[in-house]
Amino acid sequence: MSTGQARSAAQEPPPTVLQRLLDEVITPGLCVACGTCLGLCPHLVFFDGQVAAPDACDLEQGRCYDLCPQVAGAGQGPREHEGVLGPVRAIHWARATAGELDGRVQYGGVVSALAALALEEGLVGEAVLTAAGARGAPAGVRVSDREGVLAAAGSIYAAAGTLRELNQALAEAADHSLLVVGLPCQARGAAKMAGHPDYPAAGRRLGMVIGLFCTMNLSARGLRAVLAEAGVEPPVLRADFPPPPAGVFQVTTAAGLSEIPLEKVYDAVLPGCKTCGDLTAETADLSVGAAEGEAGLNTVIVRTARGQELLERAVAAGVLELRRPAAASLEHLKEAAAGKRARAAAGEVDHG
Amino acid sequence: MADISGLTPGRTVLMQGNEAIARGALEAGVSFAAAYPGNPSSEILQTLADSAEGAGIYAEWSTNEKVALEAAAAASYCGLRAMASMKQNGVNVAQDFICNLTISGSGPGGLVLVTCDDPGAISSTNEEDARFIAKLADLPLLEPSTPAEALAMMKFAFDLSEDIENLVVVRAISRLSHTRSGVVPGELAVGRPRPAWDPKRVITTIPAVPRHQVMKDKLAEAGGLMAAGPFNSYGGPDNPELLIIASGSSVLYAAEAIDILGVGRRVGLLKLGCTWPLDEKLLRKHLAATERVLFAEEVDPFIEDHVKSLYAQHAPELGIKRFYGKASGHTPAIGELSPGRLAAAVSEVLELGHQAVDPGYLERAVQSAGAMAAPREVGFCPGCPHRASYWAMKQVLAVDGRAGLVSGDIGCYTMGVLSTGFNRVNSVHCMGSGLGISSGLGKLGRFGFDQPVISVVGDSTFFHAALPGIVNARWNQADYLLVVLDNSATAMTGFQPHPGTGQLASGQAGAQVDIEQVCRSLGLDCRVADPYDLAATSDALYDALQQKGLRVLILRRVCALVQGRSGGHPYRMEIDPELCRGDACGCHRFCSRVFKCPGLVFDQALGQAVIDEVTCVGCGVCAQICPAGAIKALAKDQEAAA
Amino acid sequence: MKELAREPLDLVITGVGGQGNVLASQVLGRALLDQGYQVTVGETYGLSQRGGAVMSQVRVTRRGVLGPLIAENQATAIISLEPMEALRVLPTYGHPEVVVLTNDRPLQPLGVIAGQAEYPQPPKLRAAIEELCGRLYWLPATEEAMKLGAPILANVIMLGALAASGLLPIGAPEIEAALAEMFPDEKMAANRQALAVGQELVA
Repeated sequence: MSTGQARSAAQEPPPTVLQRLLDEVITPGLCVACGTCLGLCPHLVFFDGQVAAPDACDLEQGRCYDLCPQVAGAGQGPREHEGVLGPVRAIHWARATAGELDGRVQYGGVVSALAALALEEGLVGEAVLTAAGARGAPAGVRVSDREGVLAAAGSIYAAAGTLRELNQALAEAADHSLLVVGLPCQARGAAKMAGHPDYPAAGRRLGMVIGLFCTMNLSARGLRAVLAEAGVEPPVLRADFPPPPAGVFQVTTAAGLSEIPLEKVYDAVLPGCKTCGDLTAETADLSVGAAEGEAGLNTVIVRTARGQELLERAVAAGVLELRRPAAASLEHLKEAAAGKRARAAAGEVDHG
Repeated sequence: MADISGLTPGRTVLMQGNEAIARGALEAGVSFAAAYPGNPSSEILQTLADSAEGAGIYAEWSTNEKVALEAAAAASYCGLRAMASMKQNGVNVAQDFICNLTISGSGPGGLVLVTCDDPGAISSTNEEDARFIAKLADLPLLEPSTPAEALAMMKFAFDLSEDIENLVVVRAISRLSHTRSGVVPGELAVGRPRPAWDPKRVITTIPAVPRHQVMKDKLAEAGGLMAAGPFNSYGGPDNPELLIIASGSSVLYAAEAIDILGVGRRVGLLKLGCTWPLDEKLLRKHLAATERVLFAEEVDPFIEDHVKSLYAQHAPELGIKRFYGKASGHTPAIGELSPGRLAAAVSEVLELGHQAVDPGYLERAVQSAGAMAAPREVGFCPGCPHRASYWAMKQVLAVDGRAGLVSGDIGCYTMGVLSTGFNRVNSVHCMGSGLGISSGLGKLGRFGFDQPVISVVGDSTFFHAALPGIVNARWNQADYLLVVLDNSATAMTGFQPHPGTGQLASGQAGAQVDIEQVCRSLGLDCRVADPYDLAATSDALYDALQQKGLRVLILRRVCALVQGRSGGHPYRMEIDPELCRGDACGCHRFCSRVFKCPGLVFDQALGQAVIDEVTCVGCGVCAQICPAGAIKALAKDQEAAA
Repeated sequence: MKELAREPLDLVITGVGGQGNVLASQVLGRALLDQGYQVTVGETYGLSQRGGAVMSQVRVTRRGVLGPLIAENQATAIISLEPMEALRVLPTYGHPEVVVLTNDRPLQPLGVIAGQAEYPQPPKLRAAIEELCGRLYWLPATEEAMKLGAPILANVIMLGALAASGLLPIGAPEIEAALAEMFPDEKMAANRQALAVGQELVA
């Protein structure tokens, strides 16, 4: 009996790297379509917000698995030693000064202003952002100037596979530095890319990661179903989950602003988001989100020296204005961050 | 095929079995021939069509075998000799008509059904033995052994049909249909009656039971006429130690086995060309003269079982016999026979200890071939649009993520069940059955079934058997995506035309029936995409898959072989060695390992993908799957200009 | 009518779908029939153009009609348009004296293209065939055909080689006459060249 088992165990080839990614992330529904695994090889494909692997791969090791921010133990759990907001050098309220951003950006327009400045000042040669793609599903986009940044401005709440564009940019024979704007999962993916021993291009060229606060994200198909049920005609120009107690999902389309009750949206939330404890993109250089109670302002968390440098240059160039954040608002942000960590931890217990 | 109407009578020519069947029909004065293509039968009708002008006959490709036989029966009713030819599966399609036709009877013109069975399933989804239709419908059955005999039997069959006024079945097999040997053509028949149907004449099965008796009487009459004919014969000693009873090609295998073993003085061979009804008198005589009987027939024990049954009736006067064949395990119950298999059977019965070759040699050869001759799985041709279609389906079903199914059907695209089609097809049975299965799957939603369903069907199969399934799905509002893989040919069987191409068997133009219009007339949403454009096809497939109800996507691109004959493909493919990542490509030489086109191979020594210039046709599809952009499609005309 | 090298003379013509093996068997059959021999040509097709292994059999006799299948391990010669296919048929039709003429150009099976199986190294394959036959002709037919501008001519080159091997009771002129019955005049120049090249390969 035991010999037989040993023999069958010996005969079974170890699972391929792709199979492990499928078994641990994609098949259980934990994939959040961040795009970290996309564009590295032809096996993983992205279509209408879904990541899939149509064919079997026969390699035992590979970056698709190594880089995935959703693989268990990849950092979505609580990290008490760093505090509930992760590494923090400074926290500001900020808004962009350029009038042209008005109405096209989220809150204070800080992300667009920072990305545009980084390109204009030559800190980076290219930025990877998220814009509307086919079927109303968002997709990654590579831009190299201010106009490109503005064209992609605004948050689109659906799985976008954005980091595929980053991987593709890194695969090209070029030396310029890259900036990426992403959700907490994508910031984690980007951090893993930069630190992977088999991905020297990422370590060398990934110059700036701007993270976005995120409570949860929607699947592209789920969002389409939500909109269809609410009678909102795509394409979505902007979308947002305003901080509590709003209790709504806001979408702006050509027809104007619509508010959809949160309970109508829950079914469309990516299951993988429920295991994520990172509200503020803790692995980014700069993290940007809403400033509670202050429409027209962003909260900016400075986490690294290079993040601080970009922010300082933006202020020096007159592109950004900074303000001291209200203490109560920061407390609420910490509460929200702690709440997301706790929910993720509970979710993991549930999963176990 | 070729026009065989002008052959010189009396001059031996090398003729394929199917051509000999066609020639026999022409010499018998056939006027009307209809068929649906299907290997191994296809060349019969094509030869008749090519000879139609020379012989002054009518030949058509019908939409299916039932229609073909019905059309032929009409000619028979009006006094013309007529025939329908089909493969074994086609007999099933025609069976409902056959089982009623036999009661009503054929008309004054002889009516012959030729079935070409496929022992070994060389080009079929099954190896069904269609001889059972003769027993089921009480029809006379003839089994030729050689092309020359096939010619003679066709003439006999038409006479017999007119004698008994019923359908006569001639059964060939692949090894006859696709065998060439010397045949001496005779004279073509001259003159034919002017067809007419007396309006007072009613041809029907009613009243069925009394007419059933008429049918039995006709079969008995046929039995007498067949016994008097030249197709059953015996060779061997008067009292053989072993009697082999054989039909079809097995007659020749048995003769060769006797020769190989040198047992001509010990073993007798009873050749049966007329296998239903069996010649009881002849069989009783030969059973009485031996104690051991070996049956040699393909595939099922048709003669074996009926001879045993006959023996049971007459056992008291015949004495104890031993029977060898499929029941005893002396011949295989499945697959083909061969001279060697029969030699082994005879050797076993007579305890001869025969060995075809030194066992040491055999062992070395088996080992060597086993170790080095890698299996050669069939696959789509280079440039085949089906490879591209299945590629897109595979990608889209994966990203769709709802465990989608593909219901298959019959044609080249049946190979979607194999690795060439990425094993993407979940079921295949017979012509049109994929649509019925999808129709059923498409109604399971109410029970919680939530897997999307794609039903694939070829353009020729669409007209043969898909329409009732489609109408059923439309009527009952079944939920599935119908994908018509339209390569504008009945490619699997030799590029015969069909209603969608509008071309007739004669090569002349008929009325084209447009698949799109048919679907739209049923109220179906119907889109068209070009499978060579992988991105556009994937988009169209994905969007169609998200819809509900029955909807249609036509993936249209002409068969690569047809394209090859009519100007070829537009590109010369090339791999940029600077860009090809070889073994290190993303995930391990994706193009050859996954896409698997015979024209794109991996050069081990070079460590890179290379185009096999002998095989590649230049369709350009693989350039779309290379993640490194290393595969280049260079326009041939621009190259020529430069 | 000349004596046959063996009675019956049984030739297996094998290869891969699309290589023109059925055509080669028909040409041979016609040429032999025209010289008064009894000929049976068995063809296996249906999936013949779809990359699978395809075999025809040409059986020649001065006696009665032969069946479509050569008896197991009784072939006189194996003519193969692809080297691996020559080895594949040896367990079924070979014996220590069988003569093998094979094109040396490999066509990779799908499993090899996909990396799931290996194509044997040509010298190893050649040695394995050599060990299982009485005489081996290892011929660059496709290479020569490509020099003539059409790889499909490898089948006619193989017929030329067969004619020069002394196995047949007929020669190249009889094969050429059969080709001329089947091909239009404008294709005959290339066919004649191919026949000549095949003969030179064996001479």
